[in-house]
Amino acid sequence: MILAFLAIPALAAGLVWTNKNKIVIHLTNLVGSMLLLVFSIISLIDINKSKAIVSTGVFKDLFYIDSLSGYIIFITTLAFFLVSLYSISYFGEELRKKVITLKKLKLYYCLSNAFLLSMLLALTTQNMGIMWIAIEATTLASAFLVGFYNNKRAIEAAWKYLIICSVGIAFAMLGIILLYYSSTVTLVGAKNSGLNWNFLVQNASSLDPSILKIAFIFILIGFGTKVGFSPVHTWLPDAHSQAPSPVSALLSGVLLNTAMYGIIRVLAIVNKSLSSSRYTGNLLILLGILSIGTAAIFVLVQQDYKRILAYSSIEHMGIIALGLGICTPISIFAALYHTFNHAMTKSMLFLATGNVYLKYHTKKISSIRGLIKTMPVTGVVFVLGAFAITGMPPFGIFMSEFNTVVGAIFAKHYIIASLFLIFMAVVFAGFIKQLSKMFYGKNVNTEIKKGELDIIGPTVLIILLCITIFIGIYIPGPFKSLLDASTNIILGIGGK
Amino acid sequence: MYNNALNLLSILILISSFTLIANKRQNAYITTFRIQSILLALVSLLVSVRSMFLNKRFDEVIIIFVLIVVFKVFIIPMVMKRTSDKVEYTVEKDFFIGIPFSMLICCGLVVLSWYVIYNIEGITNSNAKNYLIYSMSVVMIGLFFMISRKKAIGQIVGFLVIENGMFLAAMLTTEGMPMFVELGLFFDLLTAFLIMGIFVFKINNTFESIDINKLKNLKG
Repeated sequence: MILAFLAIPALAAGLVWTNKNKIVIHLTNLVGSMLLLVFSIISLIDINKSKAIVSTGVFKDLFYIDSLSGYIIFITTLAFFLVSLYSISYFGEELRKKVITLKKLKLYYCLSNAFLLSMLLALTTQNMGIMWIAIEATTLASAFLVGFYNNKRAIEAAWKYLIICSVGIAFAMLGIILLYYSSTVTLVGAKNSGLNWNFLVQNASSLDPSILKIAFIFILIGFGTKVGFSPVHTWLPDAHSQAPSPVSALLSGVLLNTAMYGIIRVLAIVNKSLSSSRYTGNLLILLGILSIGTAAIFVLVQQDYKRILAYSSIEHMGIIALGLGICTPISIFAALYHTFNHAMTKSMLFLATGNVYLKYHTKKISSIRGLIKTMPVTGVVFVLGAFAITGMPPFGIFMSEFNTVVGAIFAKHYIIASLFLIFMAVVFAGFIKQLSKMFYGKNVNTEIKKGELDIIGPTVLIILLCITIFIGIYIPGPFKSLLDASTNIILGIGGK
Repeated sequence: MYNNALNLLSILILISSFTLIANKRQNAYITTFRIQSILLALVSLLVSVRSMFLNKRFDEVIIIFVLIVVFKVFIIPMVMKRTSDKVEYTVEKDFFIGIPFSMLICCGLVVLSWYVIYNIEGITNSNAKNYLIYSMSVVMIGLFFMISRKKAIGQIVGFLVIENGMFLAAMLTTEGMPMFVELGLFFDLLTAFLIMGIFVFKINNTFESIDINKLKNLKG
């Protein structure tokens, strides 16, 4: 079962090279992503019954899916499925306009499947070393995706992404070495299983706290570089704005979650060992507020509609870090709920920008006017998405941000809550100020024909819009129990 | 005896990092990196031979020794030299900070890592403490090298030095991590190096130089 998660992307990555017909290539990818979504739902049902999926046999102790990883795998596969559906329309159009060749299309599908494979490897393994290797592999797989268009800006963005993330991840490795060291120094039998998350969590109280503290700092900074915490966020606006839109949606919605997952796993160990979340909490709250503040300031001056969305990603990752730092059941629930909301909303927004870019061929806000008249579905989804991402009801993000503020207030972090609300207001103002120019007004450029490009793109956008509205109004029972189980895993409380 | 030899080799690796900071030309970077990799290979050889002596069975760290010799001593410097020959080369100052001042900063970095590691009470084995200090210093100096060079080749060499420091840490503090982790680590970093090499060519083709200062289009 678990091997299916790894085998399917690997197969898809290989199979796209063998065929010359573009429809078959598109379909291979789509079928692969659909199968992965089905498998992730099956594994969620499995976890509901038996608390965790473990692998046996040759790969004993290597793979492990519990509610937390199952939840994030579900988000990943759902987002990848919708992005694959959208890629058919986006790259089909680019192929038709001869912007890319068939070989480049195959390269895109191969690399995005390799990217997904490395992310799923990070999410399904419990060995911290393999998790590190997988997260480094995501940087490598997506480096060429970021530099896909091979122009000056794309290559600059890809180089920055590669260098900054590789250096950050190298620091995370130091942290993992220290984590392993802390287990071998005090525990017997740790030589082989000292990197397994389950082993570390069960024996957390006998791990040395001082080594764990410094290991946590290294891992927080290291994986935090991949998540996009300020002040190591500088690669994020460039990479997410220069990549093709489906890739941006994957990077923003899914990859940031995977890196955050790495931090969450170590957070669980360190909190259990120190028996209090004060140390990790302070660090996470600091980084969270710093990220939200930085994003709020930069959002006010953006000229490029994809860059403003990238800064919004930094802000939302800061919100998740804030929720994890406050570390009460309600705030962790809010943080996990927020990962889902952000993934769906941000993917929706980035895919909408894909449509806008295909029609207008520019990334500048000032060159676009009258979007709602030119492309009705995309324009409306973009406007609603802009409101959604800044925290307007009835969308999902409003509920999770609300819960985060409530968690902060209940935990008596009044200053943090007020700063958070002020920054939210600033981000809202920035978005409306910058983006509202695009939607109304008359389109003076006569070369732009009216109407959507084809039917698949807007359909995906409408699906995502419905998901974000639905999850903001009502959380289904199984979903809630999944979130509760994941919260318990992070807090170290036993049981389901 | 064994610990003395490891201490000596680790300190030599640290000294080679200082030498790297003092280098002015790109070919010199590659030679110093080669020397550092040879020292690292000797460390891995020592660790594996001793554990084979003690445990009387095959120790997998010897595989790492072979990999380090083949890749870091031969193949990677060769690829770097070839890349460096093919891209644009102007004789100009490659660093932002003058060399004497850089040396002082590196001494400061070593003192900093000593201070941080010394105050962790949990590490009882004083040998492990020393090794950790050396490895972390090498990582820090590699990072400093990366940020103080203007050309892309300098950044890649800095990344390789950080890698070396990580391997030193992994091998010495924990007597080697589980083998598939080390192997995966190695090939991951190798792939990272290859991709960086490809990007240097792309940068050279589009920007007509590998001066990182020219990558200024994306701001704000």
